[in-house]
Amino acid sequence: MSTATHIPQKGSHTGRILIIATHAFTQLVRMKVFYFLAIFAIITIASNFFNLPQHEGPESVGTNVLSQIKGWSFGTMHIFSVVLSIVATALLLPKDVEDRTLYTILAKPVPRFDYLAGKLLGVMLLIFISLALMDGLMTLVLQIRTSMVAKEQMEMATTLGWPQREIDALRAETFSNGPSWSMQGAVIAVFLRASIMASLALLISTFSTSTLFTTIVSFMVYFIGHFQADARDVYLHGGQAGEGMIAKVTSLLFALVLPDFQIFNVIDAVIQGETMPIIALGKLTLVALYYAMFFTIASWFIFSDKEF
Amino acid sequence: MKLWKKSVVLSIALLALGVARMPYEAGLTRELRDARLLPSALDIGTVEKIGQTSAAVAFGGLRTLIATFLNLRAFTYFTEKRWDDVADTYDTIVDLAPHTRYYWDSGYWHIAYNAASYYMYDSTLAPVRRKEAWRTSILKGRSFLERGIRNNPDDWVLHADLGYLLSDPNKFPAFKDQRETFSAAADAYQKSAETGKALGYVRRFRFYALARVEGREAQALALARELYAEGTKNRTPTFLSLLLVLEAHENPSMDTTARAIELFGTPQKAYSALSGHWQRINERFPIFGIAEAMATLENRLSIPEKDRVLNQPLPAPRNLEKSFNE
Repeated sequence: MSTATHIPQKGSHTGRILIIATHAFTQLVRMKVFYFLAIFAIITIASNFFNLPQHEGPESVGTNVLSQIKGWSFGTMHIFSVVLSIVATALLLPKDVEDRTLYTILAKPVPRFDYLAGKLLGVMLLIFISLALMDGLMTLVLQIRTSMVAKEQMEMATTLGWPQREIDALRAETFSNGPSWSMQGAVIAVFLRASIMASLALLISTFSTSTLFTTIVSFMVYFIGHFQADARDVYLHGGQAGEGMIAKVTSLLFALVLPDFQIFNVIDAVIQGETMPIIALGKLTLVALYYAMFFTIASWFIFSDKEF
Repeated sequence: MKLWKKSVVLSIALLALGVARMPYEAGLTRELRDARLLPSALDIGTVEKIGQTSAAVAFGGLRTLIATFLNLRAFTYFTEKRWDDVADTYDTIVDLAPHTRYYWDSGYWHIAYNAASYYMYDSTLAPVRRKEAWRTSILKGRSFLERGIRNNPDDWVLHADLGYLLSDPNKFPAFKDQRETFSAAADAYQKSAETGKALGYVRRFRFYALARVEGREAQALALARELYAEGTKNRTPTFLSLLLVLEAHENPSMDTTARAIELFGTPQKAYSALSGHWQRINERFPIFGIAEAMATLENRLSIPEKDRVLNQPLPAPRNLEKSFNE
């Protein structure tokens, strides 16, 4: 099948993309992906019960559990979103070929770009909804636990006769470990990284011969992408340690070709209580948009006249 | 277009756009690092310690997750009294999550307190070895805590922890220069207070440490007057006793009895508080003028000779050497 022949198309691109996205979403939901949410719920609730003994004063009682809930929940979200984005995307095209759905769709006046963008959007929608549900559960558990910790601390502080100003300061400090806007920003950062991975997996799947190949290569790029910033540093600031030309050129190639996933590690800082400014999130979104668009356009470029 | 031609076009586009985005990403990385939103590179030793699988997860941006699991492991080591493993694990944990107060706080506590106390009574070691292990552990705990402070200079709890460790009477023999140690404790409490987030007791504890530094009595007295002026919340028996002592140090001809009654409210209360201060020898608080005030108060209150605190022997100072030989 070739797109060399111009086929007149009806309807808007957006409409077509949305229909394909909805179909891809439904297709993935039928694979029982949401069962993972039950596992997430267990992990989030379990993280409440690892309250180790500590020696700190009333000002710190229970705060460790709060960062533990965030750490475990974000870790699970992160792993889930990356695995899902790679595996789900890697599955989509081969599954459509296997089910022969692809032929039916492409036989219709559906531009291949719309098909790819719709598929990608379906995966991203699934990741977004899953993350939103997980975020909701994490925020709820964290809010309840923060209130419990704060109540316990307040009781202790009142018994010890602390002045009201100090009790208020303690309360504010405890709640700063609870749900925050920065935490929501970190969830968005998890989603952005997963979106880049989904679009990258889509690109690989357009020329790959198997789901396994796409999955393996995507995971490799994902892990190596966390060293992109280091390669860039070697290129930009290297030389002092006597690196040779080959090392510089190799690091430059790494920096130019691979996505920089390290910048999305802001999640760790948020778990540790740092505030993420909205401008930082905006800049991360720009980076993610760039990669997602580039990989999608590149996917279309490869896929546009691919024969089936 | 053939696939190989497409691949060439795509590669050129990838490289060209890579050149365009590189300065942006480099700038963003710098910006995020400056804002403490991105951690520094993992130490090679840490990578070796956590193993390849955990390192891969950590590189994937889940350092705090690995840190929470290592914290559970460190707790197991603690229950098994594997102190070197506890210290090693906390070194790794704080490398993974350097801005989490809890890990610094717990790590220093295990090293400087739990491990040190264990070594003190470790009958498998010779007394000399016990003492050395005890001292080394305390110094290691201090060093760990100071590293935590360097990583988190705005954390009032870590500064206060250091102040507490350096003013702990059970740890005095571990530090060679007592004056320097009290001075460092006072400075630690001051830095804690300067964060603007510290609880009220921190400034009072700074005063307790400062009052014990020879040569800084005037500074301690100025601080005491400041705290006294803030109201009744700071006027604990220890605080008032030390205020009296420092005033007597500044003005040796002062009527310490009258001042004690003024500070404590009644002669009975004054006598009770000063007696307590007199007997707290382990803490090495200064005692200028206390004996005179107590003697006058004992006469004024007609305390029988046998009940007079000044006539009774002072409690024996805690002999740590004895603990090492038990």
